[in-house]
Amino acid sequence: MTTRRIFTLLAILALCALALPTLAQGGLVRFTGQLLDVRDGYVYFSTGDAFKLAPDVKLLDYVTGKPTTLQPHVKLYARAVLDPATKQVTELDLTPKKVPFQTVFAPDVTAAAANTATVVAPELIGGKRITGKQVPVEFLVTVPPTTAITDVVYLATDVSNWNPQAVRLDRVDGERYRTVLHLASGTKFTFRVTRGSWNSVAVGPDGLEEDPITFFVPETDAYSRKVTVAAWSDDRTGAPQEAQPGAVPTPFNPNPFNNGSGLFPRSRATPPGGLPPTRPGPQNPP
Amino acid sequence: MRGRQVDFFYDRYEMTADGDVRVQLSDGTVIRGDTFAMDLKLNRYIVAGNVHVDGKTVHLTGAALAGYLDLDKTYFLPETTGAPQRWTFFGSDWTDEHPGRAQPGDTFYLPDLTGLRPYIRAQRVLIVPRDVATFTNLSIAPLGLSVPLPRYVFVFSANSHYFENAFAGGRFDVGIPLLGGEHSLSALHVRNDPIDGTYLAFDQHFVWDKDYVVFAIDPLTQPQKQINLIGYKRWSPKFESRIFAQETIDAQEPSVTHDLGLFGEPANAAAFGELDLNAGLRHSGLSFVRDNYYGYLLGYYHPPDDAAFDPDPPYDPRWREHPTTTTLSWTEAETRAFGRYAPLLFRLRSGVGDAHDVYGEGGFPNEQPGPEDAFYHYLGGTFYTSPIKVGRYSFSTSYDRQLEWFNTPHLLDEGDLRFALGRPFDKQHINAFLSYDVQTLDDKWGALQDEAYPAPFGNTICNPGYGCYSGQDAFVGLATMRTWSISGVWSPSSAFTLNVIAQRRYDFPAPVPGPPYGYGRSPEDVTADVRIRLAPNILLDLSRTYSFGFGGNRWNPGGTFALLP
Repeated sequence: MTTRRIFTLLAILALCALALPTLAQGGLVRFTGQLLDVRDGYVYFSTGDAFKLAPDVKLLDYVTGKPTTLQPHVKLYARAVLDPATKQVTELDLTPKKVPFQTVFAPDVTAAAANTATVVAPELIGGKRITGKQVPVEFLVTVPPTTAITDVVYLATDVSNWNPQAVRLDRVDGERYRTVLHLASGTKFTFRVTRGSWNSVAVGPDGLEEDPITFFVPETDAYSRKVTVAAWSDDRTGAPQEAQPGAVPTPFNPNPFNNGSGLFPRSRATPPGGLPPTRPGPQNPP
Repeated sequence: MRGRQVDFFYDRYEMTADGDVRVQLSDGTVIRGDTFAMDLKLNRYIVAGNVHVDGKTVHLTGAALAGYLDLDKTYFLPETTGAPQRWTFFGSDWTDEHPGRAQPGDTFYLPDLTGLRPYIRAQRVLIVPRDVATFTNLSIAPLGLSVPLPRYVFVFSANSHYFENAFAGGRFDVGIPLLGGEHSLSALHVRNDPIDGTYLAFDQHFVWDKDYVVFAIDPLTQPQKQINLIGYKRWSPKFESRIFAQETIDAQEPSVTHDLGLFGEPANAAAFGELDLNAGLRHSGLSFVRDNYYGYLLGYYHPPDDAAFDPDPPYDPRWREHPTTTTLSWTEAETRAFGRYAPLLFRLRSGVGDAHDVYGEGGFPNEQPGPEDAFYHYLGGTFYTSPIKVGRYSFSTSYDRQLEWFNTPHLLDEGDLRFALGRPFDKQHINAFLSYDVQTLDDKWGALQDEAYPAPFGNTICNPGYGCYSGQDAFVGLATMRTWSISGVWSPSSAFTLNVIAQRRYDFPAPVPGPPYGYGRSPEDVTADVRIRLAPNILLDLSRTYSFGFGGNRWNPGGTFALLP
């Protein structure tokens, strides 16, 4: 009888012993993320959360669960296992490889700095979480109707060293050019619209230079950014003519004052025997 | 900022540093830590691991510090013996830590740069937020090949004036910024073009928020050089000025083969200057443009009577003149014709001007003299529709007309009528459009029409190798140019785009190919442009035009490389 009682008691104890880890694990809290620092008995994560380390905290390998020679330091990833009773980290599983951020909180764990923010910061209100996912962004640029059909329109951006031919757009109808870029949400850059050089940049309706356009890729599935060009800096009047004002004579008649035409006298500077060859070297801009 | 190793990732605009990182802020505060990361575009940085902050009024230790420059806030995880805290400092005021204040969700996140190779590796960098980063003792690895450099300036400013210059177009242009700061940038350029080959150029920028000055020498290492100066000043929100001055010098004597160098006496020199003044008016703009041409800057050779052409050194008496053109123009902003819902719009324009010495002696293409001054005024306007959607089609039309009167018995009457129809084919990833354009250019001289437009080379032009073209007498100054254009853009993926445009022209007077008397445009040509993305930030852009043999031209090669975001 006594022996049976002893065996029964041992069996119950064995079952309890087997069950204990399960019970204990059910009460523990796990927190996984990137380390910032371990100092003065606290471990800090890049989320801004900090947890107190137990005096006998175990350092284990994140993958194998065995003791590791890694020491916790900035940029490592770690899983902190907390004891809810003491609110201290009893185990720190370390790895240099990126692991997903994960939290398993018990309601009574208050050791994290995340719970200390109680004062509202007005400058942060209204922000939307940005994930960096790829967003197809359409840039649709409406140009002056007199822009030559074969002219090429570009975007110059601050992320391409302001190369005036950085992003080429394609004409899609009489007045519009278009391109689609795949950009990460949260991408922010500024751009100008050009016709391929800094001498031919979009200007405002009053002919004055405008500030670069700031563009932000929102957290959405697709996005369209429409831009209207009022005029070009090298053609503020929007005149499509072959002969610009002052650019006389016309292309078809470079010599309306032909010798002997009688319209105007001969030049005193015209040398006898005809004119010399064209001046060497680069010609002046027209 | 300095550290044992400073890395810059060009395609992410991320800068990192590891090992004994030391950051000195502009107020003298020094932040030390184990690692550093800065997103140049988001304009925020973080120092993490054993962080010490030391300044005139602050001595802190902690786990991490994050500076959000756009918010003018510094977030800090202080060393603690009690409950962990988060502090927020306002501006450079380190006296009040504002504990418990809400912080951005990713305040202390370190960037994940796994698998990326740094573009620049250095030991020290000076960062001017939102503008430039100057690296010292660095190696640069644009294509995986490490090149040591003593200094490199990386400009990431949203101010485009850092890069505006007057370099002529080239096949490639690689800028190497050497010196720079908040308001200046000095750069060498390695350039290549079909005329000068590969050469060095230099430009110096002085940049402010709205204003800038650019000085450039291009090429720096070839006998023929252009020295450029651009100055832009925004005097008020509604008034701006711009000057452009250019001197072209030929530093090589025709009789010798050696280069006389940058500072040697040139054998020839010419200049061009332009002044632009633009004023914004209510719903319109006023523009004044003055162009000055200096065909010859070296004085006159003997004999004093410059009517004689001296062949050695060559001197053309036409160069002695300094032609100028002056134009004052007014341009209306886009205006709706019949209320906001009608798709009919228009813009009017007018102006007055003077062209001085542009005929004959000034070096303009025509080689005969004319009147010293040609005064003119003009009136014009563009009438157009915004694109009208009809089903899958987009239709637009425009008509532009301009009349220009000169003080000579002379009127230029120009018109341009255009119809365009576009349509996307979504399933095929194609955008197509068709347009028809009619331009007229009537150069009217009244009773003197026949004298102004004699057939200069007779009724028949014969160009050796290109045949004879008769009927030249038929053209008396009234030209008409009609153009059909058809285009298709195929973009099956984000990595590939093919753009083809074909044009057929019906011009009067009909073009005549080949030298010496040829003129006009190719009757038909096709241009194809292919863009292939080779890497996330490298795009190959190739373009060629085929002219079907007009004037002996068939393939016109061209191609560019571009770095994209």
